[in-house]
Amino acid sequence: MRKFFILLLVSLFSLASPVHAEVDFSNKTITWVVPFKEGGGTSRFARFIQPFLTKYLPGNPDIQIMHIPGGGAIKGSNYFQKNAKSDGTFIFGCSTSVIVNVATGNPLVEYNLSEYKPVLLLPQNTHWFTRSDLANGPHDLSKLQERDLMLYALKTPASADLFHIWVFDKLGLKGAKPIPGLSSSGGYQAFLRGEIHISSHGAANYVKKVKPEIEKGKVVDLMTLGIIGADGVVSRNPLAPDAPTFPEMYEKMNGKKLQGDDLEAFYSIGAAWSQASKSMLLPENTPDEIVKAYTDAAEKMINDPEFKEKAAKALGPFPLIVGEEAGAIVKKAAIFSDTTKEQLNAVLNKNRFTYRVQ
Amino acid sequence: MEQLIAALFQLFEINHLIFLFAGTLLGLVVGILPGMGGTSGLALVLPFVFSMEPSYALAMMIGVLAPTTTSDTFPAVLMGVPGTAGSQATVMDGFPLSKKGMAARALSAAFSASLLGGIVGAFMLSISIYYAIPIIMAFGFGEQFLLVVLALLMVGALTGDNLFKGVTSCFLGLIIGSIGTAPITGDPRYTFNSLYLIEGVPLVVVGLGLFAIPEIVGLLDSRGAIAKSLKNEKGWITGAKDVLKNWFLVLRCSTLGCLVGALPGLGGTVVDWLAYSHLKQTTKDTSQFGKGDIRGVIAPESANNAKEGGALIPTLIFGIPGSGNKVLLLGGFVLIGIEPGLDMVTTNLDLTYLMIWSLALANILGAGICLAFASQISKFTLVPYYILAPVMVCLIFFATFNINRDWFDFIALLAFGLIGITFKNFGWSRPALLIGFFLSTKVELLSYQTHAVYGLSFLTRPVSIILIVLCLATIFLLSKQRFDSNYKSDQKKGKMTQIYYVGFLLCLPLTMIFFTSNLDYRANLFPISLSIIAILLLIFIFIIKVTDLKNYAFLNYTFMNFARSNIFENGSFNNQLYYFLSFLGFLAMNFIFGFPIAAALFINFFILFHNRQAYQVSICISLVLMMILWSLSSLLTLQFPNGAIGLVIDLPWWLGGELN
Repeated sequence: MRKFFILLLVSLFSLASPVHAEVDFSNKTITWVVPFKEGGGTSRFARFIQPFLTKYLPGNPDIQIMHIPGGGAIKGSNYFQKNAKSDGTFIFGCSTSVIVNVATGNPLVEYNLSEYKPVLLLPQNTHWFTRSDLANGPHDLSKLQERDLMLYALKTPASADLFHIWVFDKLGLKGAKPIPGLSSSGGYQAFLRGEIHISSHGAANYVKKVKPEIEKGKVVDLMTLGIIGADGVVSRNPLAPDAPTFPEMYEKMNGKKLQGDDLEAFYSIGAAWSQASKSMLLPENTPDEIVKAYTDAAEKMINDPEFKEKAAKALGPFPLIVGEEAGAIVKKAAIFSDTTKEQLNAVLNKNRFTYRVQ
Repeated sequence: MEQLIAALFQLFEINHLIFLFAGTLLGLVVGILPGMGGTSGLALVLPFVFSMEPSYALAMMIGVLAPTTTSDTFPAVLMGVPGTAGSQATVMDGFPLSKKGMAARALSAAFSASLLGGIVGAFMLSISIYYAIPIIMAFGFGEQFLLVVLALLMVGALTGDNLFKGVTSCFLGLIIGSIGTAPITGDPRYTFNSLYLIEGVPLVVVGLGLFAIPEIVGLLDSRGAIAKSLKNEKGWITGAKDVLKNWFLVLRCSTLGCLVGALPGLGGTVVDWLAYSHLKQTTKDTSQFGKGDIRGVIAPESANNAKEGGALIPTLIFGIPGSGNKVLLLGGFVLIGIEPGLDMVTTNLDLTYLMIWSLALANILGAGICLAFASQISKFTLVPYYILAPVMVCLIFFATFNINRDWFDFIALLAFGLIGITFKNFGWSRPALLIGFFLSTKVELLSYQTHAVYGLSFLTRPVSIILIVLCLATIFLLSKQRFDSNYKSDQKKGKMTQIYYVGFLLCLPLTMIFFTSNLDYRANLFPISLSIIAILLLIFIFIIKVTDLKNYAFLNYTFMNFARSNIFENGSFNNQLYYFLSFLGFLAMNFIFGFPIAAALFINFFILFHNRQAYQVSICISLVLMMILWSLSSLLTLQFPNGAIGLVIDLPWWLGGELN
């Protein structure tokens, strides 16, 4: 009722005044809902952005971060859907797992993510690597391809790790078999002990933990997911510029370009997994001028020299995505096409999982 | 080495010291309150640590854990009541010494011994960290699986005499731990399609429910022994001298404590007794033991503080808790984003060293404070429990709520509180339940992972063989020890209730089987097989109890007699359930008024009900509590649970009203 009333007021106001009223948040408190525990990646992302956002939003509002963890991030997200006002005083801190819940059709989801208004995306990238005795030099999958059994870590099939299954299937690694219940760091330990054959890490841990092992010659790079540009062109990851991207590796292994349904699935997976790794969104029905106030603030923020300097260290090397491009990515990430879903279900079935994408 | 020194300097930064000091003070206080220990203390700070820097949070958590086994000597010596489970053996000689007028000597000896023991523990921990990398690399899935099995077997040892109930408690814990999303397939298990259970029952809720609530209720019920005043006591120096004279005993007992502590799952409840019996075996003149021999204080106190360092070894390098309170510490690690294992000795080595230094320093601080302010601190034992109890209940409710921010937490907390109370009084094992609960997911995943990587070949790896030998030895020792127990055949009263209770416990595994039977076999194999074992154990206990009640003749067979004497009960509830009901009243008030107002009302009602004259105290305490809640709500951006009243009146946000 209250939401409706505000909406009515806002729309009346915008009808009445031909010139858009200035958006002003002075003396307001903005609530940033994070559906995770304090200390997690999404929480750190929000905390990092918070002071800059206060600086650049009109009226310099206070921003408080409200953590509502639980239920696999669904609880806090549903809370946001029900309680957020669309007047710019509520922001949503989103991550891959929040998106995956929507994309895979979790029946407990009540939030309408694809209608939210994205302001800012922070991309991530995945690195795959293997032990040097399991490959003929870097970026070589041929030795692993011959193996009857190639083990890798998988948290659960009902998480973003599901995409690993798809990736290995599309590369034609027939012996690939997931070992469930391993977090990325638990999986990396098992990898170092020689129990699993292929392992992966995000950028930060890749630099901190994997790079030293590569320098020692124990580990070799295989590939990265690649950085998907606004035009759909996939470029190499600056942290491992020699490593091929997934589309390059796909071409090498299959002898044909990544295209058709596979390419579509790759774009959706890449959007959810990589491009929208962490994001900041406004509720659905947020008026355009408020969205614009936010995107303007975000633009100013990412050009702030202090931000640039700190962000490289705190958020990683990948440039943030602001504005319209962000909107398209979140839509792509949250709504998987039927063919993509079929592809995912097919690889789940192949690996004898009962979990299905809905 | 460089990092070791760097960590020391880091610890001496003012912020770290403040958090360490705050943690130490809290640890001292929970140690003094009889029955409360490191588990409850840690559960109280967990909700706050995750908004902190990891290094501050670690300093604080270690600060809470380290001194509890130092300050628990106060009630042990002055009242004859152990302050935590780790100081039961201290009572044996400490209390007689105090009756002889040598309380100061006993306390001083205990603190000095604790101090040295704690430092030995920290030292051994740092040595083992140095050698940890090859150990971790040698422990694959198979070895880890066997280590977990060993931990669970050790829990059997931890249960004391009540072997069958202990083992059954452990299985029930494993079953409760399997609630939530199945780790292998992602199927929801036993969640009733609710969001609350999707990530399983929250650890803090289980910990606080099982440990804090029963202790509060139990102490309200006991109304407290009269503590001895420490005025005009002398002998502080004699006590310290006693410790120096027995330096070799201190060294032996702390080494023992550290080693036993390092065994996964065994933990503190037995360390003090082991040290005490070691002392008895190695002393020629045993005539004074139990009558006030100072060595009877020194031995257990040095051992129970050293075990903290030892118990951190499996906790840090394998993520397998070395004792009950380490379960909560691991929960804290998750909150601040630290994963135990290889990282702790490579990329996070600085944090590990920081913990070691914190452990050493907290022991020094704790013992120092205890020595310096002994007579003031001992007054804590005089505070009437009807004043402490409601405040602690409010704190526990707050701590619980802050973790998940869910109404269901209150209900789950009280449910586990009731389980804790009945477990404690009926002789079931709460630590076994907690450790089983915590290790459940690990057992399930490791058994699957081991199978996928090794099949059965893991059994022939060298480390595996050592672990299997250890497991068999534990089983052998367990079966040896059991024959003398606390069983009394005349406790007819309450036996019927016990039998009903067994029937009640049967509901959990039965419903678990019912609700998971239609899932994929990889999702239900684990809970169903656990449930079947638990059902068999429960039925066995049921039969023994019924035959015991009827006194059938075949109980005279050796095995049956063994079983009968290993299933017994601890005593009766007296007024405990009645106190528990008042907590339910508090819950109801929460639904009506919201948390902050309900807390203030509850404190006033509770104190005034016990002592009409104490209205000044009660009003003061509730006002202070309201202030604290108010500042915390803005500090943590915490919206308190809103009651029914909030629907009618617009409350300010720190009372549970709407945001903005």
